Amino acid sequence: MIERLRKPWPDHRAERTLGAVSLLVGVGVVAMVVFVATKAWPIFEHNGLSWLLGGGDFETEVAKMTAATNKPPASVYHLRAWPLIYGTILTSGIAVVLGMAIAVLSSVFIVELAPARVSRVVIPMVRLLASVPSVIYGLIGILVLVPFVGNHIISNQEKTSVQNVVQLTGAGLGVTVVILTVMITPIMIALICEALTSVPSSWREGAVALGLNPLRAIRAVTLKAIRPAIVAAAVLATARALGEAVMIQMVSGGKTFSPKPVDGVVFFFEPLRTLASAVLDYHDGISSPPLGATVYALALLLLFSAFALSVTGYLVKLPLRKYQTRG
Amino acid sequence: MHRIRRLSVALTVAGVVGVAAPVAANATSLVTISGATSSYPLVSLLAAKYIKLHPGKVRFKIAQGGTTVGLNDVKNGHVTIADVAQEPTGADAGLDFYPIAKYAICVVTNKSNTLSNLTPSEVTSIFTGKTKTWSGVPGATASGAIDVYSRTAVAGVLTSFKSLLLEGKSVVSAATEEATEGLMRQAVESDPNGIGFLSNYQANKGGLNSVSYNGVACNQTTAASGQYAGVSVFFEVTKGPATGAAAAFINWVDKSPAAKKIIASEWILIG
Repeated sequence: MIERLRKPWPDHRAERTLGAVSLLVGVGVVAMVVFVATKAWPIFEHNGLSWLLGGGDFETEVAKMTAATNKPPASVYHLRAWPLIYGTILTSGIAVVLGMAIAVLSSVFIVELAPARVSRVVIPMVRLLASVPSVIYGLIGILVLVPFVGNHIISNQEKTSVQNVVQLTGAGLGVTVVILTVMITPIMIALICEALTSVPSSWREGAVALGLNPLRAIRAVTLKAIRPAIVAAAVLATARALGEAVMIQMVSGGKTFSPKPVDGVVFFFEPLRTLASAVLDYHDGISSPPLGATVYALALLLLFSAFALSVTGYLVKLPLRKYQTRG
Repeated sequence: MHRIRRLSVALTVAGVVGVAAPVAANATSLVTISGATSSYPLVSLLAAKYIKLHPGKVRFKIAQGGTTVGLNDVKNGHVTIADVAQEPTGADAGLDFYPIAKYAICVVTNKSNTLSNLTPSEVTSIFTGKTKTWSGVPGATASGAIDVYSRTAVAGVLTSFKSLLLEGKSVVSAATEEATEGLMRQAVESDPNGIGFLSNYQANKGGLNSVSYNGVACNQTTAASGQYAGVSVFFEVTKGPATGAAAAFINWVDKSPAAKKIIASEWILIG
C-alpha cells in the first residue's frame, strides 16, 4: 500500500486530492462562522443590531451577565458594546496611520537610499521584528512602559483633573498605540521593501532623465507603482492590530472607557478596552449563557470586520491595478 | 488478500488501543476545579501534595477565573469543585460549601509609601473615592492623587473586602480593576500612588507595604487570634454533597495532617 503511495500520482488523482484539501479549508471557515453566529444569536435576538450602539454601561451589563443563573430573564441580555468598538477603531486606526507613515519612509530609505551594507543588515532585522510574539511586547509594556508613563509622564494635575471619572495609571491609549505601532510597522516595512525592489530601476532612471530630482522621482514613479502593495500592507497590518488581544489587554488599562479627545493630552492616558481584549477578559465566564453569547457576538464582529477589511482592500486595489509591476 | 490481512491487523491494533485508553482513564479520576484566583496558590499546593500521597488515583485540572465564574461553572456542571473566596449568599441554594482555610484581606500600598495604619473610616473614605489625595491621609508618605486599585466584579476577595472592611459600600467606579491577585500585586508594586487589597499570602510576599487596619497588623497571627477584622474563608464548593474523588479530596484537606501543614504555612486553619 505504501509503495503505491510513493509512486508519482497520476494528474487526475493529485488534482482531486488538492481540490478536496482546499475545499476542506473553505468548509472549515464557513463552519466556524456559522458556529460563532449561532452561539452569538441570543444577543441579536434580544438587542437587534442596537447592541453595536452606545448608551449603556458595558461593565455593569457584563457584571449582571456573570452573576446570571442558568435560565436568566431577557433583561440580562441587554448589551451596548460601542465603547469596545470605539476603542478598537481608535487604537487600530491611529497605529495603522502612524505605522504607515513610518513604514513608507523607512522602506524608501532602506531600498533606494541606504548603502547596500546597511540594507543587508536592516532587512533581516525588520523581518525578525515582524515575527516577535505580541505577548513579549505586552510584557515590556506592563513592566516598563506603563509604570514609566504613570510615574513620570502623567502629572498630578492631569490625574486630578479627571479623577472623578477615571483613574490615570499609565496604562491606556498612548502606551497601547505606541506598542501596537511598533508591532505592526515591521510587517508593513517588509512588504513595502519587497515591492520597492521589484520596481524596475529603469522607470525611476527615466524620470530622473526627464529632469525630476531623485526624491521627486521616487515619489512620482516608484511610490505610485507600488500603491497596491501599500494597500496590501495596510490591510495585513490592520488585521493584526484588530485581532491583537494579549498585548492590548495587558497595557490598555482594563477598563471599558471611551477616551475623550476633548480632554486634550489626557486623552492619550485614558484607559480603554478593545473587542479582542474583551473576548480575552471575559472568556472565563463563558459558562454563563448571556456572557457566553456576548463573547461570541464580539468574536463575530471581529470576524466580520476582518472580512470587510479584505473586501475593502480588494476594492481599493482594483483601480490601482494598471500600475502593477508584476503579472 | 495481503492488503486485507494488513488492514485487519491495523484495525485490531486500533481497536485494542481504543478499548485500552478509556480503561486507563477510568483508573485515575479527573477532578476539575475553577474559581477564585486568591485561593489558587493554596489549592494547587494541596492538589500537588494529594497526588503525591495518592499516586495514580486522581488527576486535577485547576483553572482560575474568579469566585463568581467558579460558582457558575459548578452550578452548570462544567467543573466538579468551585474555589470560592466569599461567604455563601442566598443565590447559592443547592450548593454545598466546605470551608478549607481562612485568610486575611490586607490593604496594601506601594513600598515607597510607608503608611503604617488606617482607621476603618479612612479605609472606607479612600476606597469609596471620598478622599482623593494622599495629603488627606495622615501618615502617608506618598503625595498627589490616590490611585485606587480594585478587582473585577467576579472576585470573591472583592465581595469579602466590601462586606468586612468597607461597611458594605462599593469601591469607587473610577478605580482600576485587576483580573487576578497577581495583577493587583504587580499594579500596586509599580505605582507609588497606588492602594489596593490582597489576601495575606500575596500581601506579605514582600515588595508591598501592608497597612495595619485599626491598629492591628494584617498577618497570619492576628488573623488566627481574631484581632484582625478582615478575615474571610476559602471554600471548596460542590453541587449537592461532594461525591467520589472530589469528596475524598475535600475530606483529606479537612482531616489530614499533611494538608493542615500546608494550610498553616501561609493561611489560617479552620476552627
